[in-house]
Amino acid sequence: MLSRFRATLSGYATYSARGGLFPFLLHRITGLGTLIFLTIHITTTASVYFYPSFYNRFLTLFRTPLFMLGEIILVFCVIFHGVNGLRIAYFDLFKPDLWKKPFFQKTTRLTLLIALLLWLPAAAVMGYDLLKIGFGLFGEE
Amino acid sequence: MTTSQPRNVKATAGFDALAWKWMRYSAFLLIPLAWGHVLIQDILMGGHSIDLNYVSVRWSMIGWRIYDFCLLSFAFAHGINGLRQVLFDYIRSEKFRRWTAWGLLAAWVIISAIGAVAIIGGVR
Repeated sequence: MLSRFRATLSGYATYSARGGLFPFLLHRITGLGTLIFLTIHITTTASVYFYPSFYNRFLTLFRTPLFMLGEIILVFCVIFHGVNGLRIAYFDLFKPDLWKKPFFQKTTRLTLLIALLLWLPAAAVMGYDLLKIGFGLFGEE
Repeated sequence: MTTSQPRNVKATAGFDALAWKWMRYSAFLLIPLAWGHVLIQDILMGGHSIDLNYVSVRWSMIGWRIYDFCLLSFAFAHGINGLRQVLFDYIRSEKFRRWTAWGLLAAWVIISAIGAVAIIGGVR
């Protein structure tokens, strides 16, 4: 078990030496995070058909600050996973030559930049809602 | 080992080749589907303003039901296969791989079915 763990780590280290560790790990983390949310989202939303009264209880839970903060993080996951996934899919399917080293390292940074630029306005809108509804700032409506 | 080939982009034959292509082609479809869904529901509407009434109004339009059905099928299959690929990086034993694959298949079928029934059945 330990030797396998060490092999995994050294595998990641080799991957890192090639310059792709960070987007590789972030792609997996954001993907798994989105999948966990998706499983909860499908089953709780399905309660509109199976148990409509449960749906209202879930909604009360989703309006708590913790879940609203989670929603902002989720949007980052979906945006980053999408931008980076597009890069991987495009390179793998149509331009495998682009995986050559100095170039794809540049596209890694560009991917993160695009993801952040897309996420920041979304985070601002949702952050405002979090402060207003989650914490009751900016006065009553 | 050569350094000029930093990534092996040749897929192996069989199911894994199909899964490899599935992850990439479904990605192109998931960009408009998932991002559109997130943009409308999370950013423009905000999760806090969604209730039973909102869902029933949305699902009174057949187009949104078809949209949600496509999103459910593509996103969840993409996610479950992604989880399979991650788990298979850690599970080396063929026996455990088979159990994992069956477990994921069962989870995928059951949860997809729950979602599909809700989309078809609508708000009660």
